[in-house]
Amino acid sequence: MADEKRAPSLIDRIWDFFISVKLAIVTLIVLAATSILGTIIEQNQPPEKYHQIYEDWAFVLMDRLNLFDMYHSKWFLFLLVLFTVNLSCCTIDRFPRMLKVVRNPRTKLDGSLEKSLSLADRWKRKGTLSEWAGKYAAALSASFAKPKVTEDGSEVHLYAETGVASRFGVYVTHLSIIIIFIGAIVGNVFGFKGNVNVPEGEAVTQVPVRGGTRMQDLGFTVRCNSFSLETYPSGQPKAYKSDLSVIDGGREVLRKTIVVNDPLQYKGIWFYQASYGQAGGATAQVAVARKDGTPVRMLALAANEPVPIDGYGVVRGVNYEQNFQGSGPALQVVVEKPGQPSSSFWIVQGRPDLDRQRADSLVFSFRGLSSRMFTGLQVAKDPGVNIVWLGCALMVIGLIMAFFLSHQRVWVRLARGTDGRVEVVLAGSASRNRIAFEKRFEKLQTGVKAAGQ
Amino acid sequence: MSNVILFNLTTFLFGVASALYLGALYAKNENIAVAGTWVCVLAAVVSTAALGMRWYESYQMGIGRIPVTNLYESLVFFAWSVNLFYLVVERKYRNRTFGAFVMPIAFFTMVFAVYNDSSIQPLVPALQSYWLHAHVITCFVGYAAFAVSAGVALMYLLKARQEEAKISKGVVGLLPPTKTLDDLVYRAIIWGFPFLTVGIITGAAWANYAWGTYWSWDPKETWSLIVWLVYALFLHARVTRGWHGRRAAIISIVGFLATIMCYLGVNLVLSGLHSYGGS
Repeated sequence: MADEKRAPSLIDRIWDFFISVKLAIVTLIVLAATSILGTIIEQNQPPEKYHQIYEDWAFVLMDRLNLFDMYHSKWFLFLLVLFTVNLSCCTIDRFPRMLKVVRNPRTKLDGSLEKSLSLADRWKRKGTLSEWAGKYAAALSASFAKPKVTEDGSEVHLYAETGVASRFGVYVTHLSIIIIFIGAIVGNVFGFKGNVNVPEGEAVTQVPVRGGTRMQDLGFTVRCNSFSLETYPSGQPKAYKSDLSVIDGGREVLRKTIVVNDPLQYKGIWFYQASYGQAGGATAQVAVARKDGTPVRMLALAANEPVPIDGYGVVRGVNYEQNFQGSGPALQVVVEKPGQPSSSFWIVQGRPDLDRQRADSLVFSFRGLSSRMFTGLQVAKDPGVNIVWLGCALMVIGLIMAFFLSHQRVWVRLARGTDGRVEVVLAGSASRNRIAFEKRFEKLQTGVKAAGQ
Repeated sequence: MSNVILFNLTTFLFGVASALYLGALYAKNENIAVAGTWVCVLAAVVSTAALGMRWYESYQMGIGRIPVTNLYESLVFFAWSVNLFYLVVERKYRNRTFGAFVMPIAFFTMVFAVYNDSSIQPLVPALQSYWLHAHVITCFVGYAAFAVSAGVALMYLLKARQEEAKISKGVVGLLPPTKTLDDLVYRAIIWGFPFLTVGIITGAAWANYAWGTYWSWDPKETWSLIVWLVYALFLHARVTRGWHGRRAAIISIVGFLATIMCYLGVNLVLSGLHSYGGS
């Protein structure tokens, strides 16, 4: 017997713990306080960086507590789960009671209800109950809401309400948080995120995910046709543009130039412009011509890579200067001809004529450096994201319902008085914004009182 | 740069309005407060013109964009919002004593703005999005509501202390009754909270569109969540546990301190994705 009694009480106690608003308040405070910690300690940095900042013992302690990646730690997850369980239990506990109240409103203004309402007015009229009940019902319908009429022996009750949806606002808001968490979980389980660098002209079919520990197959190919960087006249970056092609089943199915804030999407996988850089070293573009000006060929010289010219020798670009002796960009070239000592000279981009003065059969002119770029793409698939947006939309709707609607109720009771006249009581209450309701009630009072006079 | 001249004039007007409201409270002269209201209205006109002018000038410079993209612009926009929000409250509650506590917030924000770079800079690629408008505007309307709430909470604390001591003389005697103040602390928050919520959501939507992730626990995001949690705490404590008056006022002030940290502290002290907001 004793066991039977204790068992439910323990469950009750656990249940009471999870449905308490005190727990909600404590969880909110703890979540806020611990979140601050994660903004002070920079998250997900390489260990060397933490060693520079913290003493060894502090590093070990913080590492044990997962403070370097705390938002993904088990204890933070535990807090979020506790928060969600608390939220769900509160809803399960209170929602049916609220629903009952909404479905079966107190349509009769009895003594105890009358006492609890601060807004009330009383007056007397000559005539019959039903005559006045009809008049007041019409007045309420016109200026408030159509009342429900209950006849109870010697009394007639009118009950009207508006804004009942405001009672559901808090539940819609709480539900929205749960939906957002479900969306986040779906995204984490069924989605992936990764970064990949694609040099111009090259293509990828896989991206590294989970910090590079796993390769994710895309199921199609993405090629970077070209990358370009636009700048404002001041030199600040204006746009990073990547011309991308999606190749699926051996043919190009989609081509789009993406910029930051305008990604490409194919089969639920999104490609975002995230970064860019130089793919490999730069090559120097050098035009070769005969003395008379007839062009021979264009050379693309990678640093120190020898390039042979038939019947002439081997050419190498060995040095580059941004501003050579005040004349702008220049390239140092070394020419090795068979059986001769190698010669070295500079060619200046802005002075193509200068090389003519060198006694040689060919003239070189420097056309500038060109470098192949790579585009850094953020690749993401998140099947939960629409669930998250649904939750967000519900949250906004819930907040508006909870804060800007008010459940307003008005009662009228008509009873036969001892002097034979009809005794009328008008009373009202509002779930929120009582000051505004007081004004509305005053108007209603004069309107209803004047009805049928 | 005529917009900057207009903003400097706005700063001056906010200063004058603050001084008038404080002076009215000190001298117990309603006429001075009425002058304060007219200065606020004038400041609203001038600052709105300044924002429009700045927007127009950015188009003249060939980089047309909404003027809410760096610290200077966000500060003037915040002050602009506080001023407008205040005028609405003053009109609705028919009490000019709020001005002495709210308008200095707008004034000091503008003074702080003057010390920042006021030139119109082109938008970096990350900010070139229509989400910018929805995100920044909703966040700052929320911040302005929280600023008003905190100013009124301060009034509440002063008034409540006096009421406890059962004196109604002096400057504090002119403040509205504690019941009104307590109600306004709450009402400003129920305006601010949905706006902050929409601000966070539009920020998440934008982040998802720009970076492929709607939430990455970057310090700015985290602090906006902290602010949200503090006001969620306020609402729950008030509605279900009846925390009114002093305790509610203190949470409102804590919430606004968290808001300032989210708005300025993160950019000036911490680093993260929102770093462009700090220059």
